[in-house]
Amino acid sequence: MSSTQTPAPTAPVRVVLVDDHRMFRTGVRAELTEAMAGASPVCEFVGEAPDVDTAIAVIRAETPDVVLLDVHLPGGSGNGGGDVIRGCAGVETASGAPVRFLALSVSDAAEDVIAVIRAGARGYVTKTIGARDLLTAVRRVADGDAVFSPRLAGFVLDAFGAAAGEIAEVDEELDRLSAREREVMRLIARGYQYKEVAKELFISVKTVETHVSSVLRKLQLSSRHELTAWAMGRRLV
Amino acid sequence: MPTPYEPAATRVRTDAGPLPGAPPSRPPLVRDRSAGWTPGVCDAVARHLGVSRRLVRVAAVVLAFSGGAGVAAYLFLWALTPEADGPAGAGGPVQARVWSERRRWAVLLVAGVVLVVAGGALLVPGVGMTARGSVLLPLFVIGVGAVVAWSNLDAAQRSRWLTGGPDGMGWVRVLLGSGLALVGVLVLVTRGSSVSVLWDAVLAALAVLVGALILAAPWALRLWADFRREQDAAVRATERADIAAHLHDSVLQTLALIQRQSADPAAVTRLARAQERELRSWLYDGPQGSQASLAALVTEVAHEVEDLHGVPVDLVVTGDRPFEQHGVALSRAMREALLNAVRHGAPPVTAYVEIGPAGVEAFVRDRGAGFDLDAVPEDRLGVRRSVLERMERHGGSARVRRREDGTEVELRLPPIEGDDT
Repeated sequence: MSSTQTPAPTAPVRVVLVDDHRMFRTGVRAELTEAMAGASPVCEFVGEAPDVDTAIAVIRAETPDVVLLDVHLPGGSGNGGGDVIRGCAGVETASGAPVRFLALSVSDAAEDVIAVIRAGARGYVTKTIGARDLLTAVRRVADGDAVFSPRLAGFVLDAFGAAAGEIAEVDEELDRLSAREREVMRLIARGYQYKEVAKELFISVKTVETHVSSVLRKLQLSSRHELTAWAMGRRLV
Repeated sequence: MPTPYEPAATRVRTDAGPLPGAPPSRPPLVRDRSAGWTPGVCDAVARHLGVSRRLVRVAAVVLAFSGGAGVAAYLFLWALTPEADGPAGAGGPVQARVWSERRRWAVLLVAGVVLVVAGGALLVPGVGMTARGSVLLPLFVIGVGAVVAWSNLDAAQRSRWLTGGPDGMGWVRVLLGSGLALVGVLVLVTRGSSVSVLWDAVLAALAVLVGALILAAPWALRLWADFRREQDAAVRATERADIAAHLHDSVLQTLALIQRQSADPAAVTRLARAQERELRSWLYDGPQGSQASLAALVTEVAHEVEDLHGVPVDLVVTGDRPFEQHGVALSRAMREALLNAVRHGAPPVTAYVEIGPAGVEAFVRDRGAGFDLDAVPEDRLGVRRSVLERMERHGGSARVRRREDGTEVELRLPPIEGDDT
């Protein structure tokens, strides 16, 4: 699906890779470069960093479009990726868009995921993601959309009580999901791509992206007990 | 199976003897209380110096008669020499040791009581006491009292303080010993005097005891420090041994298996995946609670399928409820669907289970060519019987959807009747 999602004329996404394992950084670069071979490049790597302080310096210097960010990082005040995001608050790219963060982690622990999302990441994927899916995710985040893995969608459904049947009366309610958002999250949890979600619900891909972004906003702003409790664990509130 | 990862547990107890292969060294000066009545001082010295035990004993007795130097040295060593669990290799019958200790105490107690009676008798005029005897016997009583009290503290050096102070018997011994010593001191001081000086004598005796306590303070502190150090070391050793044992049983074994099967990529993937899952649950899930939930059951099913075929299954579960027969049926049907997906479909295989008040819904999806249920021969029982009919028997439903790129099996269970949650 990435072929339809990546219109050729756009400039490659400038990416900074932050992870404390050199092996992993090398691996991601090699894999993505290989996946882009032959086609117009989706992204180019402009920097790398192994810890919080280096990461902040590199991001401020390079102002990339997207930062691929590990959740657990040495340095800073001990909150890993969350520290990087807060340390780079307000940094903008040359085109005036904010620097966007995509969390990339081996950890499935809810508090890690929720913490980095609430700190401001635009999405969360696990490190086992395939190269093509990762490219799609980078592109999507660069465009200002949100990227949810099935697991993150599952967390969201749990955290907002949607799995237990709690549904917002009005869409603007921050502490619950709307019926439509719940449907979208359920399909993502089932492993559907955005395109498939759109087809299943007879809506456009753009509408799916809007719903996901709206869920992301609720995830970041809601004061629901479950979310604040998770974030409290990482001293984020 | 000894490995470099489990040193703590095995090396702790070898301090009584040199390690095999290590250069021969002098055994440490530790007392062994597992045999005999004595505190084991002579034995310890003999083992430490590598000379005959009898030689040491004779030397001690000779020294004892030459101005009491032997006695002083003996007491000094007794107080300052740590106690070992046993000599090298002595796993010794614990029961026997306990009994011998009890017998020893019984004898000491009886002797103490006899001596008190004897000491008391000496006070009574007309029993024919000599000046010399009236000094020596009370001294002897004091000595025995001290032995009773101190020996108990000595024995308590290990486990008793650990388990929240000495037991009832231990306190009895301490009190008895102190009492004996007090009586001895009193007898010594008040011999031949009137009752009027008795109070002075009591005060004097108490002063002596307090003085003795002050003198003993460093020793008691050492005891306490010993105990704390041992406790800390034990906790750390246990923790390290736990982690080492876990890593050994899981990660190291898997790495060994991966090396042996490195020619088979499918096996390597399967092993790595299973190990990752296991380690992840160990790291992030914390102590395992009750496994009697539907979420735990379906997770287990997905892992089992993953292990059987080496195809990763991405499972997401939301909500939970205790499992009952319908839940079990759903998990079996889901297992069948997963097996079909990994056998006939193409990865990635994803599964989503939502457990809520409106019932349970499970979705199993693959990216294969898909299949037409009507085209499946009647005699192929897998999907029809294991999935569709099973779900219907339990009041639920199942649907197989053929999609552009793969198949999705949907399983539904109604809410449990009478369940409000």
